[in-house]
Amino acid sequence: MCKVAFIREGTIVSVPEGMTVLEAEIRAGLKPDAPCGGTGKCGKCLVRIADMVSHGDTTLPCEDIDTTKSAHKNKVLPYEIRDSEKTIAAEAYGNSVRACQTKVTADIYVDTLSSLTKEYAILTEGYLRPVTYHPGLSVHKIQLEKPETGDKRSDWYRMTEQLTQDEPFEQIYPDPALASSLYDRRAESAEWYAIHTDGRVLDLRREPGRICFAAFDIGTTTVAGYLLDAKDGRTLAVESRLNPQVQYGADVIMRANYALEHGTEILSMCIREAVNEMLQILAKKASVCTEDIFQVSVVGNTCMHHLFLGISPASLVHAPYTPAINARLTLCAADYGLCVHSNAQLLMLPVIAGYVGADTCACLMATRPDQEDNITLLLDIGTNGEMVLGNRKRLVACSTAAGPAFEGAKITCGMRGVAGAVDHVFYEKGNWRYTTIGDEPAVGLCGSGLIDLVACLLRAGLIDENGRLESGQADSHTFVLVPPEDSGNGQGVYLTRKDVGEVQLAKAAIAAGIQLLMEELQITEDDITEVRVAGAFGNYMNPASVGEIGMFPHSLAGRVRSIGNAAGEGAKLALLSLEELKMSETLARSTDFIELAALPEFQDCFVEQLGFEEAL
Amino acid sequence: MTVLEELRQSIEAGHPKETEKLVSVALEQQVDSMRIVEEAMMSAMRTMGERYKEQEADIPSILAAARCVRSGFTLIEKNDASFEEQNIGTVIVGTVEGDLHDIGKNLVALMFRSAGFKVIDLGVDISEKQFLKAVRENPDVQIVCISSLLSTSLPEMEQVIKVLRRNDPEKKYKIMVGGGAVTKQLAEDMGADAYTENCVEAAEVAKTFIV
Repeated sequence: MCKVAFIREGTIVSVPEGMTVLEAEIRAGLKPDAPCGGTGKCGKCLVRIADMVSHGDTTLPCEDIDTTKSAHKNKVLPYEIRDSEKTIAAEAYGNSVRACQTKVTADIYVDTLSSLTKEYAILTEGYLRPVTYHPGLSVHKIQLEKPETGDKRSDWYRMTEQLTQDEPFEQIYPDPALASSLYDRRAESAEWYAIHTDGRVLDLRREPGRICFAAFDIGTTTVAGYLLDAKDGRTLAVESRLNPQVQYGADVIMRANYALEHGTEILSMCIREAVNEMLQILAKKASVCTEDIFQVSVVGNTCMHHLFLGISPASLVHAPYTPAINARLTLCAADYGLCVHSNAQLLMLPVIAGYVGADTCACLMATRPDQEDNITLLLDIGTNGEMVLGNRKRLVACSTAAGPAFEGAKITCGMRGVAGAVDHVFYEKGNWRYTTIGDEPAVGLCGSGLIDLVACLLRAGLIDENGRLESGQADSHTFVLVPPEDSGNGQGVYLTRKDVGEVQLAKAAIAAGIQLLMEELQITEDDITEVRVAGAFGNYMNPASVGEIGMFPHSLAGRVRSIGNAAGEGAKLALLSLEELKMSETLARSTDFIELAALPEFQDCFVEQLGFEEAL
Repeated sequence: MTVLEELRQSIEAGHPKETEKLVSVALEQQVDSMRIVEEAMMSAMRTMGERYKEQEADIPSILAAARCVRSGFTLIEKNDASFEEQNIGTVIVGTVEGDLHDIGKNLVALMFRSAGFKVIDLGVDISEKQFLKAVRENPDVQIVCISSLLSTSLPEMEQVIKVLRRNDPEKKYKIMVGGGAVTKQLAEDMGADAYTENCVEAAEVAKTFIV
């Protein structure tokens, strides 16, 4: 066994010799970022390592250790670097090494190089369609009275009769545990408040007290959580964080692969734990108790949905990519390890198809294009890109694997939307300008900055119609936006030819998807009255740049509206309106799905969209 | 500049319309089909492959070039009925069961055709039984190429190799694997005869198998 001490986090773990530093980080509960799933391809899990022997000290904290000095010249370090053909040599990183490719062979100190105070710009705000507040959960005052002699009705029956008076409930599920408590409760008091939904009594209380709902949007990369007051549907608190499953890979295929190899359990536990932590924080922020949460709605793409429920994603990643279950589910939250009221319900919105999940269904609920005569296009660009086109006559959905490029993976200087990310780039009359999140010195490019930069380079004539970058700088294959001396990491922010290629692949997939949806509905871009872009990307992107790089037809740029985290809003609606919740099933089932990979036209269409239109 | 040189340039630049026009011109000028393929189409794809290796070209530009070559092929085949019969060997290609992705596989198929092979493209989501059936129906096949983009389909790929090997004790044909999910190491572990990282190399390696 070797000791691995993480100096920034102040934790220490013992791991068997030969385990990778990344695995040690996971074991220590650090939730490292490993977009490529630890295959050594992305180079985003960099750490610095120092030998404990040379410092002769295994006690923590170790603030005095300067790891940059300790990893000094010619010294044999107690770790080895795996050979891998497809990757860049470790030396390229100077003193830092890739945690996933570095084995622990002795006691070491590890500097994870991560700032603990990093604030992620996760979008939690959305556009909420006004609906009548009529939640599935309600509170009724009831009387528990001694039955008359000769009354053969049970205590349970007499109680539920009072609940069905003003609501035509067909049947309330008999709950033996609650029924058993009725005799004693009657002795305590005659007046009680029943907290119930259509079909279940969740609790009986002496006072109505505080009752809350929680809604979660579990994205591949980020998780957003909301705490709502059941009294009026008001949002009491909002909380967001990275999906801790990123340590097992950036995209759904890598996650599914991990689940198939190591069992679904690890990933299920990982996300449920995060949701529980968020529930605690939400409750604390709103000064309520987690026991007061009676309904939790969860949406996510089909893979996140399955992993949360502990369902194997096997069918999802093998053609023809069908979900294991697609129906709207009402489950017992406690069965899924959620620390809320012991009888609380877990509402899972329905899934549309294998790669068009409950999150897309939630976006549809938040926007309801099925009620409109106008044709609208819904675009949810996250790690996957889902889109739905149509109106009340017909809605058609498809999905493309477009996202990772816009969330930092595969782009040399790519990063998520955190402090120091270049989020906008401007080019006017030969002058370059940019802004960063939090006005911090620039350290990388997030999705919106990446698209702006490519659009500006096209306008400046430095990228040709085939995507060839000729920057005119010292290295003509690279465009340096921020020189090393002006950057926050000493390495500068730049774009390479390969990066432009990644942007082309991602934007062409989305553009081809839109093209084929239009063909399916036999309409043209002129028939689309509005493009609704959901997700963080939609909120921060500049529609003109998106049009310029050709992610969607240029003419639509003026008809773009950002609808924020629509999936989160849909998850809320499911709690606020029983009618909307029931509607979700109809909406999911009536939305048609096109599998792009199975369309023979897809490849041509995709290749056609790879190039750029010549600058206007 | 000769028409073949022009054709080569239009393929490298990824202009399909231009390519079709130039192929038509070449055919009108009675240029031999094999020469069009060899000296313009194949040569352009080789250049693209080299540029890719030197990081001068990326996947989008290779796809664009490939699209030109494909439309060129369609024109030539329409014009020259005997063209398809001239080949240096037969290759079976297919995407493994569980995977519907075919862009990479189509590129490989195209490179094989450009290199003078007869290509039997089984399509996507191909089970071990379908691979086996294809091999039995085409006893002259020299190479079987299996593709997989999704890493989740690797177990199926391994299974196809196992079944093909069991049915070919004399090792009459070679098995090549490729696609986003495969690495050189994985290919060796699965017992494939060859793995290449890109489509241009695939055709080059394949040629060495049939000498």
